[in-house]
Parts: sequence; C-alpha cells; structure tokens
Amino acid sequence: MNLRTIIRSSYILKSIFVISVFILIFISGVSYKHSTALSESPELLNKSYNIQIQLEKLLSNVKDAETGQRGFIITGDSAFLHPYYSAHASVQRSFIVLKHLTADHQKQQANLDSLVHLINLRFNYLDISLKTASVLPVNKDQLEKNMYRGENIMNKIRFQIDIMNELETGYFKDHQEKYSHELYFTPIITFIILFFSLVIFIVSFIKINNDLFVLKKSNEELLIKTESIKHAEVIGEFCITLWDMDSNSISYSDNLYRLLGCEPQSFEPTIENFLQFVHPDDRNIVKTGAEKAIQESKTYARFYRIIRKDGELRYFRSIGKFISDDNNKSKTHIGIIKDITQMHLINIKLEEKNRELEQSISELESFNRVASHDLQEPLRKIQTFISRISEKESLTMSEAGMEYFEKILTSVNQMRTLIDDLLLFSRTYKAEKVFETTDLNLLLENALQELSQEIEEKNAAFTTVQLPVINVIPFQILQLFTNLISNSLKYCKPGIAPVIRIDCEIVMPNGYPALEMNNQTRYYKISITDNGLGFEQKYAESIFLLFHRLHNKTEYPGSGIGLSICKKIVENHNGFITAEGKPDIGSVFTFFLPE
Amino acid sequence: MQNEPVRVLLADDDEDDRLFFKEAFDEIKIKTSVNLVNNGVELMKYLTQKSTQLPHILFLDLNMPLKSGMDCLLEIKNIEHLKNIPVAIYSTSASEEDIEETFVQGANIYIKKPSDFRTLRKVLEEVITINWQYHTSGLIRENFLLSI
Repeated sequence: MNLRTIIRSSYILKSIFVISVFILIFISGVSYKHSTALSESPELLNKSYNIQIQLEKLLSNVKDAETGQRGFIITGDSAFLHPYYSAHASVQRSFIVLKHLTADHQKQQANLDSLVHLINLRFNYLDISLKTASVLPVNKDQLEKNMYRGENIMNKIRFQIDIMNELETGYFKDHQEKYSHELYFTPIITFIILFFSLVIFIVSFIKINNDLFVLKKSNEELLIKTESIKHAEVIGEFCITLWDMDSNSISYSDNLYRLLGCEPQSFEPTIENFLQFVHPDDRNIVKTGAEKAIQESKTYARFYRIIRKDGELRYFRSIGKFISDDNNKSKTHIGIIKDITQMHLINIKLEEKNRELEQSISELESFNRVASHDLQEPLRKIQTFISRISEKESLTMSEAGMEYFEKILTSVNQMRTLIDDLLLFSRTYKAEKVFETTDLNLLLENALQELSQEIEEKNAAFTTVQLPVINVIPFQILQLFTNLISNSLKYCKPGIAPVIRIDCEIVMPNGYPALEMNNQTRYYKISITDNGLGFEQKYAESIFLLFHRLHNKTEYPGSGIGLSICKKIVENHNGFITAEGKPDIGSVFTFFLPE
Repeated sequence: MQNEPVRVLLADDDEDDRLFFKEAFDEIKIKTSVNLVNNGVELMKYLTQKSTQLPHILFLDLNMPLKSGMDCLLEIKNIEHLKNIPVAIYSTSASEEDIEETFVQGANIYIKKPSDFRTLRKVLEEVITINWQYHTSGLIRENFLLSI
C-alpha cells in the first residue's frame, strides 16, 4: 500500500467525522425534546389538580356564603354573616388563580368567564335575599322567590364546575396518551442511533488501524530507502543537494562533506562555503552555473575541479533538476554531484591513446600513399625505358635478350598492378565518405564501359535487371561493380563465352546475422552470377582476405586485392558481401546495401 | 603561329622524365621549342623574368621539392600576365584529390605520365594540337583527365 491510499483514506475519515458530528447533534436534539416532555408531565398533572381544587374551593366558598346567609335569615344573628362577607374575597382570589392556571386553554377560559358570571349572579340574589330579609316585616313571598332563583343558579354553577372538571380531566388524559406514545418510540430511536454510531466508530477504528499499519510499513520502507541512498552515495561517490528556492535554504547530504574530505555537516551548507573547495580557476563555472540555473529554471551538466581539505585534486560533475509541487508553487532544486576523478583520468588516458592511434593511422596512410607513389615512379621509368629499348634496339638484340626483356616487362607490369591496387585499397580505407543519391544502373553501365575491351575480347553476354537509386559513395560502387564483373570475366572457363547475370531484390535483415546487427529495416540484395570456373565453397570466406589468391599468378595475373577492396566498399556502406562457388559451374557474388 | 614553333615549357624535378619529354617532342612532327626547368622555384623565376617569352603551354609536375606544382599553379593563376597560359598537369599519380584540386584551381588538363614511350609521344602530340582558346572556354570536369 502506498501513501496515496492513506491520503484518500484520510478523506474518508474526515467525512466519517463530519457525519458523526451531525448524528450526535441529532441525538442530542431528540434527547432534549424527550426529557422536556418528561419534565412537563408532572407539572401538567399538578396544574390539573390545582384547577380542580380551586374549583372545589370556589364552590365551597359560594356554599359558605349561602350557609351564612341562611343562618342570618333564620336567627337574625349578624355573626352568621362573617363567612358570607369573607366569601367574596376568597372567590375573587380563586378566580385570579384559575385565570392564571387556565391561561393556555381558551375553552376553559370561556367556561371560567361564564362561571364568574353565574357566581356573580348568585351573589347578587344572595344580596337581594339578604336585603329583603333584613327589612321588617319580611316579605315572605319575595324572599322565597329569590331563594328559588338563587337555588336554580346554584345548580347551574355546580353543573358548570362539573363541566370544567371534566374538561380538565380530558386534557390531562390526552396529554398522558401522547406522552406515553412518545415514550414508546424514544428507546427505539435511541437504540438505532446508538447502533449506527457504534458501526461508524468501529469502521473508523479499523480504518485508522489499517492506515497506521500501512504508515508504519511505509515508514520502514522509507527508512530502508534513505539508508540505501546513503550507502549508494558512498559507493557511487556522489551526493545529493537540495535547494529550496522559496526559502533559499540548501541542504547537503553527508557524503558531500566526505567527498570534500570533511566531517559530515561540519560547515553550513551554502554556495559560498562550497565554493571555498572549488579550484579557483573553476569557481566561475559553479557560480555562473547556479545563477543561470535560477534564471532559466534549468540545470546543465558542469565539470569542475575540487581541492579537498587535504589538498587532493578531484574532478566533479554536477547536474540537477527543478521539481515543483502539484500546484507549481514551491520549487526545489535537486542536484547530484559526482566525483568523476577516476573516470576522468581513464578518459584522459583513453584520449591520449586515441590520439596516438589516430596519428599512427594517418602516418600509416601517408606512408602507404608515399610508398605507392614513390614506388610507381621508378617502375614507370623502367617501363618507359623498356619500351624505348624494344622500339629502338629490337633489331640489334638477340632473341634470348628479347625474351628476357619480355619477362622483365611482365614482372614490372605485375608490380604496377600490385601498387595500383594497394593504393586503391588504402584509399577505400581512408575514404572520404561522401554519399550521394545515385542511380546504380548508371554505375553498372559505366563499369561495363570501363571493361568494354575485355567484354568484347571474351564475347561475354549480360542479363541485368532494373537496379535501384540509393544513397551511396558513387566511385566506390563503380569500383565494386568493376571488380566483381572483371573477376567473372577473368575466371571464365577457357573456350566458353562468359554469361553473367545481375539480379536485384529487396530483402529483410531477418535470417542474415551480419545484417541484423544494424538498425536497418530493408536491404537491396544484388547478386552477380557467372558460369565461370567457380571455387570450392570452403574458400568462400578466405577469398575476401588481402593478398589471398586461388589461382596461379602466371595463369591469372592479379594482385589478390580486388575482392578485399569489394568487401571494404560494401562495409563502408553498412552492407555485407558473400560468395558462393561450385567448381566448374560458376560463382555467385552477393552484396547487400541498405535501402 | 603557323611558322612560329610552339613554345613548350616543362617544370619537372626528375631528370629522366625531362629526358623522355624532350625526346618525345623531338620525334613529333610539329615544330616546337621545348624549355625545361628543374623545379617550382626555377619555374617561377623563369616566368617572372622580363626577358622571357611566355610559353604557349606549360607542363607542370606536381611532386617537386621546394615548391610543388600545386603552389606554382596557385601563384600563376594569381599573376595577371601569367594566368592565361594553359596549364597541363603532368604527374605520376592520378589521385582523385589531386585531380579535383588542380581542376578547381584552374588547370586545363591533367595528364598521368604514361609508362610507355609511344603513348607518351601520342599524348603530348595531342595536347599541343588542342586549340586552347576553344578548350579553355568550355572546360568540363569529365574531360579534364586526359585519357588515350
């Protein structure tokens, strides 16, 4: 598992946390609601009870007033009137209390209002009866009439109070039902929420635990990697520098100090301090390199010398890269500084060897050229003198003398061919390789033109196919055609006219090991087939070697260089040449040229 | 020009070659006056003398001590009154580089010294009978190397 998964899982944890907070807030809301409902219930009961008591009290007060009035009417003793008078005040007090208690019930308030009205009416009749009774003689009819009316109203009051009591009981019952209903659901909801929270907590716990495990593992891996980088730095003689472009702070790995011959972290990591170790002549390279890197946001490889603390001269190479975070905001430069002293010294040696080699090659070449050139000069003169003598002195010379002269001429001619071919061979080696897009048909035509005399002499027949136009060194391919065809002409069977066929096809490098090494996709396979002497297949390789000959010099004069030149020419073109032969049947020379 | 002999000048350091050259012209039917100089330094000295009657054609060996034929060619082509003399390069080798370079520097023809006296005579005869005025104007690279 990697850090990215952990980062993703931290998002999951965050969302779980937010969800949990919401669920907890919801739980608290529900609980609060339920607890308020619970605390309201007894209060409500208390209130209903109070209302009923006050109503009873009211009724008894009215009854008290009635009893007092009756006592007075019967006895005429005004002491009976005490409760009658105090009843008034009591009734008023009860009213106020009831008004307050029934404030949240409109219906009950209306009932209370009609009760007040009835009670006031009752008191009114009581007053009238009392007045009637206190005026002597007592008007009995009127008194009785009033008393009946009073009694009637009293019944109404009782009825009204009963209504109010019932209503109150009803209210209380409703409330009680609703409350018990709620109480029934509360534990279920709480349990569900609890269960849900538990699930979330367990999931979160497992997740966190997993992440912790992964983190621990990543940490261990990181530790191993850091350690291996440190070792790699020591083994590979390099070090890593980090340059935070925002804060312009630099940190050098321990190995840099070691490479400089110092104790790790023994000086403050700054460019100035590092420059102290750079060879004075090279300080500018490092300094301008750093400036250029900042300007162009790109680092180039730099080479410079370092003088270590112990005074030893070392060669360093540094290269780096700017990296920035995803938002492209903060930029850091990672640099690699490598001690390349060993490699550099080897390189210097190699360069020296290379120079020596180049020099010896060019010396050899000029030797070859001069030798061939200077050898030709006396030979040419010998030839000219021979031609001069045989022209002027032929009549005075003996026959044997003439024969010896012929032999001298043959040897000299052979020598010249040899030198000419050697010169040609050295030239194919040196070869200014100027490739030109050339029509091979024209080159073949030119080659046949060059050999026209021999072709005519031997009465040779040719069949050719259309050849391609490709990028070649023209004079070398001309030489190649000339050499191969002249070979076919030379090694023909005595008395049989040479028949030479030139073929061409496109082939893939598969199946030709010599071609597979090059990164070329297609090749032209050009072959020259003859009906000449041929050769044993075992010589197929060796005939391309320098000075290698299969035939006697006197029978078939030649230098043994021609096919070596052919091989070199084809190699110059990144191609490849092979030969196939059957004695007395003929030979096939095939060469491949890249398309 | 009919009565006047063709003035031929050869610069060659090789004594034998000078001999062949002289003998070849002696055997040619055309009337010639052959002058020989031994090297490049002598050649330039001869050409820049006021009293010298300039040759109709100059044969120039390339490989000479002190001053090579190539150096002479460069000098001659830079001297106003000499640059119109037809120059025939007369050398043992016929390497591509030499042919290319002398052609570019304004030589008129390139002769590879033949190894046969009869051929030498034929070549030299052909070269001095070329109408140079005509030949110079239409100088073509393909015809530069004389082939017999």
